[in-house]
Amino acid sequence: MRRWSKIFWFASMVLIASLLGGCAGTLASSSWPGVTVVDETAYVAYGNHVFAIRTSDGSMIWRFPEKAEGQRLFFAAPAIADGHLVVGDYLAVLHSLDPQTGQEQWTFTGAQGRWIASPLVLDSRIYAPNADHHLYALDLQGNLLWKFQASKALWSQPVSDGRRIYQASMDHFLYALDPSSGQKIWARDLGGAVIYSPVLSEEGVIYVSTLARNVLAIRAEDGSVVWQKAFEHNFWSQPLLHGDRLYLGDLGGKVYAISTQDGAVIWENTVGEPLTGAPTWMDGQIVFTTENGKVVAYSETGEQKWTVTLEGKLYNGPVVANDHLLVGITQGKVLVQALTSGGQQAWAFEPPK
Amino acid sequence: MWDALIITPFVNALLFIYNLVGQNFGLAIILFTLLIRLITHPLMVKQIKGAKAMQELQKNEKWLKIQEKYKNDREKLAQEQMALYRELGINPFASCLPTLIQFPIIIGLYQSLIIALASTPIELLNLIRHIYPALLKVEALIPLNSQFLWMDLGLPERLALPFLPVGIPILAIVVTVTTYLQGKLMTPPSANPKDQSAMFSNMMNLYMPFLMGYLALTLASGLALYFVVSNLIGILQYAMLGQLNWQNILPKRASEKPSKAGAKK
Repeated sequence: MRRWSKIFWFASMVLIASLLGGCAGTLASSSWPGVTVVDETAYVAYGNHVFAIRTSDGSMIWRFPEKAEGQRLFFAAPAIADGHLVVGDYLAVLHSLDPQTGQEQWTFTGAQGRWIASPLVLDSRIYAPNADHHLYALDLQGNLLWKFQASKALWSQPVSDGRRIYQASMDHFLYALDPSSGQKIWARDLGGAVIYSPVLSEEGVIYVSTLARNVLAIRAEDGSVVWQKAFEHNFWSQPLLHGDRLYLGDLGGKVYAISTQDGAVIWENTVGEPLTGAPTWMDGQIVFTTENGKVVAYSETGEQKWTVTLEGKLYNGPVVANDHLLVGITQGKVLVQALTSGGQQAWAFEPPK
Repeated sequence: MWDALIITPFVNALLFIYNLVGQNFGLAIILFTLLIRLITHPLMVKQIKGAKAMQELQKNEKWLKIQEKYKNDREKLAQEQMALYRELGINPFASCLPTLIQFPIIIGLYQSLIIALASTPIELLNLIRHIYPALLKVEALIPLNSQFLWMDLGLPERLALPFLPVGIPILAIVVTVTTYLQGKLMTPPSANPKDQSAMFSNMMNLYMPFLMGYLALTLASGLALYFVVSNLIGILQYAMLGQLNWQNILPKRASEKPSKAGAKK
């Protein structure tokens, strides 16, 4: 009887632990795959590993680390710089890997938060935004040059015109910084948090979508607002700049083509599912992804050309690799699906166990 | 259904309080937990009264007689027990039903806290979808201010001291201590410490604090804060009803021990 009692209380403890711990969820599916393509290789950060994959057939070249390490999770798209593949993890460590072999070259452990956004590499410097509210500037050996503090987490990759670094933050601000010192040049209140990166035009205008349901055009020189346009739903997406238009989709299921001149809507169409991530341009068509796994291509004039549904969730938009569109999939059996420009499935990468 | 009826209203209530108290998430967790426990307080009172009535029944002479008389006839024993319940006006489910009603509310409270403590992109997207746009403005609310005292409520807590190489998990220690105190103070004195339920209670009181401490060590500190507040409110509720069993934690006087042992015989 005593034995049964022991089994009973042990089972109760396990049940309570799994209820409380299980309800709290796991970090494993807390973000989406970060995909970066360089020449013939796609680098994919997702879950416990960073993978290097051949874009020709989806075969794996290497993975890092070889053996999964508990809470060490990778979601930020790796950045490449002069023989360094720079990728951050959820345990606040920024790694430099050899892009050819996946061997670790150095680590930077000076940050306190998760690396959610991808770093920017510019003129042999790494500008890495962290959820601890700081943008870190490092040299290619991983030495800290300076850091800039925003008032909330940084979840989006900075952009640069070579003269300045532009960093959008969850604190509703867009910051322009001096790349050599990290000194703030100007800051602009956008009215809402920014999840995805802004885009910068050759004319020196920054376009950014926010959680306050608006899209803004900001002059890079002084941070003044060129125009801003309010929409019906929140944006969980990044605009695509092509020619004199911006293309983006909202969480309400609508896709828009808007003018870069004044934000006027040129055309809009309804997909009917939340649009997420950054659309991409390929062969005269704009390709969007939806949260529920749909990849939808539109012509420049707003006609739907093709659609394909993948198993899993899509949050980061497709990436162009040679003749293929690579789609990173969250919570799916397949991690990366390659599609042709007509929407046919070319190859799929399923991570080895 | 569960989401629409429990989780979403709870998340909105929590965020509404968060706005009211000047976007202080720690204070919002404390007040929201207090509010839910106040709402469920009448159920807790019923549960305690029901449990007390059942406990007193164990000492009733008639009860003891029928236990002895029908110990080999389970069917007859059940019939006699039911007859005694009716005679004494005791509802054997009086302590279970309030617990069953409270359970989904407490689970809902816990889950809504997890949703509100969004610290990763997909968690944040999930949180945004739970917000009633008519009640709260996403643009003003996001990102939530998760700083409370020295803690980031979305991450496990450690107090970093300049003279120590590692952070101290203060909240995990407080969770362990308050869970231990709650377990000890709220366990009623057993007529027979060797019976199964008393042994089970003792084991739970011994291991539960460590389990909760471990969870507080590894989960977001907002949840650990909730564990502490919930433990303290639980102790306070029992104290207000005069049900705290101080004998379980205070050292027993030498003179008390023999007399208690004698009483059991």
